[in-house]
Amino acid sequence: MANEENPLTLLVASEPKKGRAPKAPELPIPERKNWLIHLHYIRKDYETCKDIIKEQLQETRGMCEYAIYVQALILRLEGQIQQSLELFQSCAILNPANPDNLKQVARSLFLLGKHKAAIEVYHEAGKLNDEDWEVHHNLGVCYSVIKDYKNVCVVSQAEEQLNAALQLNKQDRTFLTLGKVHLLSRDTDKAVDVYKAAVEFSPENTELLTTLGLLYLQLGKYQKAFEHLGNALTFDPSNYKAILAAGSMMQTHGDFDVAMNKYRVAACVVPESPPLWNNIGMCFFSKKKYVAAISCLKRAHYLSPFDWKVLYNLGLVHLTMQQYASAFHFLSAATNLQPRLGELYMLLAVALTNLEDLDNARRSYEQAVALDHSNPLVNLNFAILLYNHGDKKGALQQYQEIERKVNMLKDSNTEFDSELMDMAQKMATALQVGESLVWTKPAKDTKFKQGSAGVPIKTLGSSQQPLGTNQALEQAMSSAAGYNRSITPRVSLSQPKRSSVPLAESSGLENPPAVPGDASGTPRPEESDTPDTLPPLAAKPKVKSKSRQELN
Amino acid sequence: LAPASGNWTEYINGKWLDAHYDPVANLYTFSSCIVLADLHGDGENKLVVGDLGTGSSNMKLKVYRGTGLMSENTLLDLPTGLVSFLMDQHEPRTPAIAVASGPYIYVYKNLRPYFKFTLPPLEVNALEQDVWNQAREDMIDPLSLKEMLDSIRDKADVPLSVRSLRFLMLDPQDMEAFVNLYKEQPIRRQTVITCISTLKKNMADEDAVSCLVIGTESKDVYILDPEAFTVLTKMSLPSAPTQMDVTGQFDVEFRITVACRNGNIYVLRRESPKPKYCIELSSHPVGLVRIGKNVVVGCAQETLQGFTQKGKKLWTVCLPAPVTTMSVMDLPTRGFQAVLVGLANSEVHLYRDKNLISTIKTPDIVTSICFGRYGREDGTLIMTTKGGGLIVKILKRTAVFDDRDSAPGPPLAQSIRLNVPKKTKLYVDQTMRERENSVAMHRAFQMDLSRLRLAAARAYVKALESSLTPMSSSLSEPLRMNAVVQGLGPSFKLTLNIQNTAVCRPVMNLAISFLYDESLYSMKTAFFKIPLLVPGLNYPIDTFVECLSDKGISDIIKVFVLREGKSAPLLTAHINMPVSEGLALN
Repeated sequence: MANEENPLTLLVASEPKKGRAPKAPELPIPERKNWLIHLHYIRKDYETCKDIIKEQLQETRGMCEYAIYVQALILRLEGQIQQSLELFQSCAILNPANPDNLKQVARSLFLLGKHKAAIEVYHEAGKLNDEDWEVHHNLGVCYSVIKDYKNVCVVSQAEEQLNAALQLNKQDRTFLTLGKVHLLSRDTDKAVDVYKAAVEFSPENTELLTTLGLLYLQLGKYQKAFEHLGNALTFDPSNYKAILAAGSMMQTHGDFDVAMNKYRVAACVVPESPPLWNNIGMCFFSKKKYVAAISCLKRAHYLSPFDWKVLYNLGLVHLTMQQYASAFHFLSAATNLQPRLGELYMLLAVALTNLEDLDNARRSYEQAVALDHSNPLVNLNFAILLYNHGDKKGALQQYQEIERKVNMLKDSNTEFDSELMDMAQKMATALQVGESLVWTKPAKDTKFKQGSAGVPIKTLGSSQQPLGTNQALEQAMSSAAGYNRSITPRVSLSQPKRSSVPLAESSGLENPPAVPGDASGTPRPEESDTPDTLPPLAAKPKVKSKSRQELN
Repeated sequence: LAPASGNWTEYINGKWLDAHYDPVANLYTFSSCIVLADLHGDGENKLVVGDLGTGSSNMKLKVYRGTGLMSENTLLDLPTGLVSFLMDQHEPRTPAIAVASGPYIYVYKNLRPYFKFTLPPLEVNALEQDVWNQAREDMIDPLSLKEMLDSIRDKADVPLSVRSLRFLMLDPQDMEAFVNLYKEQPIRRQTVITCISTLKKNMADEDAVSCLVIGTESKDVYILDPEAFTVLTKMSLPSAPTQMDVTGQFDVEFRITVACRNGNIYVLRRESPKPKYCIELSSHPVGLVRIGKNVVVGCAQETLQGFTQKGKKLWTVCLPAPVTTMSVMDLPTRGFQAVLVGLANSEVHLYRDKNLISTIKTPDIVTSICFGRYGREDGTLIMTTKGGGLIVKILKRTAVFDDRDSAPGPPLAQSIRLNVPKKTKLYVDQTMRERENSVAMHRAFQMDLSRLRLAAARAYVKALESSLTPMSSSLSEPLRMNAVVQGLGPSFKLTLNIQNTAVCRPVMNLAISFLYDESLYSMKTAFFKIPLLVPGLNYPIDTFVECLSDKGISDIIKVFVLREGKSAPLLTAHINMPVSEGLALN
């Protein structure tokens, strides 16, 4: 090999002259520019890459397998999947022993939606090289998108392949897919386990952290959920999903300023997100900036006109602003979109009461009572309406219903709002029902607890008081968990539902002088969970005065 | 040296001096083709660049000294990689330059061609050899040669040579000439070099003799003896290598970290012909650099990842743009090591571990980076750009890189005010109005809503009663009609499509009548009978309308479908006539 010839002649005439009669030109090696093609391809310099490929294919008359391969990859990136498929197939003909060609054929088939064909080709590729995690991973993905979750066979095949891929090589992608498969087959525990293992393997992957956080949120493990969401935000402070989820948790804890800070970041990243503007709106609402709240909510409504939650909140804010006519429109639109929520009808009834449309208000309450199974506020408000209009019998009936619900909730260790308690007691005395003492004591207890719950909010991550104990949050979450959309918007939504309107009525009954103060925005202490209470009262002077007279 | 551009404070506070910038240096090269070496043994380092020229011609080996081009040698083929290495112990100790190109390595000493090394040829398929031998002895004709080669290609373990592949592509009339031209030559299968690097032979000194390490398209790694140019070791990889990093000494212990085209990184060690460790990445590695005992990889997915030597993932950093090239920045005098990452957003980032410690903005996208001693300056950064520019920067001796934490506190966006519209007076007024009159407003609205509903219902009933609709709802004659107007005018063709939508009952005794402004339009027959309508079929009925006006006005023509003996129409259609655009002939 090492022939020490004169180097000059060597360089000038590179072809060895062996003295044969017809000097045959040396044929270029087809692979000679592969490295250059690859170099440009991985640097995403596709234009230059295509030029080189073209040149190379001309030179080799289409024999260069790698050039065709990269050409197909680029075509696929440009969205021409069918063409890329054809090129990959020709690669596979040029070199049938290369599993990469088959893998890419299958990938293109997958992208074209031909999942079954893709699975077959992947199996072919797997025969050439069984130790390839990518083949197993992609097989798992194919099985999981066949969308036949009732078919146990397909699901288990997907799981099997993904697990095989994980055993060969741990990749975040595989973990995510496997988790998704478990979630789709409604096996939440397994999904949590998978994500846990994934987070352990790559602790800085924000997508995994967020997904796990949201999963914990759904399961009601708020401490863990917040931990993971917080971690996700440390690594990527502008992660939209994590911000929304963490923000809504903060909102539920009354930590509105911190939540707003986070939302501001999200608003830069995703400026047209309906749930984000909804949550921002409810933050403003909690801070008593009603006009800002309305404009944010209206933006959310504009962005997503058929979202009943936004409509619900708009109705609520307008009730607070004593714009009953507008509130009525938003609420009736919301009931059209979501006809099975008792609280919505209750709010509608409150609006109607204020619009002096008593017949419809009563009908709306009846609907609310029929639909709601756990919220004593619905019955309380109805009872007040009935009582104020002289229907003591009906009021008593509703009162008994309240007691039933309260007793039911007491078993599950729910804390009640103090104003609700007071009001219910007043109602009891007015109706001359004696046993109200039964639940006054727990009421006082809860009041105390609420006060203390307001304190640790800012240290959510490391607070000694576990988040899970906050029953309000839990309830809000679980009620929200039933819907199929992202978790975040529900949370913020459900918060106002619970406390606001009924409190408004009840406090109105007790102490009318407090009302104007609140309407003008004077801050009240201990506003952790019940920020939006009083304003509607002001608009209901008639109700109040009447009821007072009667009560007195 | 003065600041080439930029403002004064940047010049004062910056870490780099702009030594030279030539935007039209016309260099097309990569980090693998740039080297700084003391070519003449005079203590002054030159910049040696393997220039790919236009990508197909005009390839050059260029040597820069200071800001000027010192010499140029023509290269025969595209340079894949370029290294400087000490071949022997002779004095003066001037390094040789090895340029890898195609299947050859051209070695230059004192910038003069010195030696050409050819990669050992690959094994040739024995069957193929046989067939060509037969062809040489004219025992088979070209067509049967083609058939035999075809069958070999389909099942052979060893691929065919270029010659046979090219032969298979030929048209039948060219085959004869091709066989005659090539049959006398031995069959060779060549591969090409994809990357090249150096490995110290047996001493770790700066000026010790080094072996050449080359990676080839045939998925092999060769280590060559520097003096005899014999293959010392051959190792195999599962995929074609693209980049290498070599450390250690050949005679003691060494480690070759190879990034491969299948997206994996393999670690080869002495006395193991197969890779020892494997790092499987989720995207292609663009840059591979070793810092101490760790490997830093820039991935095509816009991430920078750190691994231990054994392939355990240490950290990941997201980058703002795709990586174009990477290089190590090593200042042994200061004990400073960092990674330079060229990005597609015309920036060069300097990372120490996962911390970004400095950013250099460049006028163009950087395609190659090289840091080291240039001339007599130790800390020189050489970059070439996509447009062919050459940038030389010198690290200030006062420059300090402080290890900031990578977490830069709360993101900027947090302090941006939310875009919430201001409260306007009009809004407040309207709110107040609603507060005061909400009940009245609500009632008025409900009232108007009821009226609207009533009006709508009335109109609907009226339409039904007078059969104004194009669908007849009567049970005995369920009919559907639509009308088409054709023509520019003044004569139009009116086509009425009538269909009986009953399941099986035909409809008889129907007539059609038109109602129109007789001063504007005229029709030959404004009333005619229509035949029996078989269910399901579409009956197109044509009639002609003449527009009498030339004033460019149009009107509605009403069509009624009537039943004999009944004055109320079954169906009505209003046809909006188009304006007549043509002129009457007379």
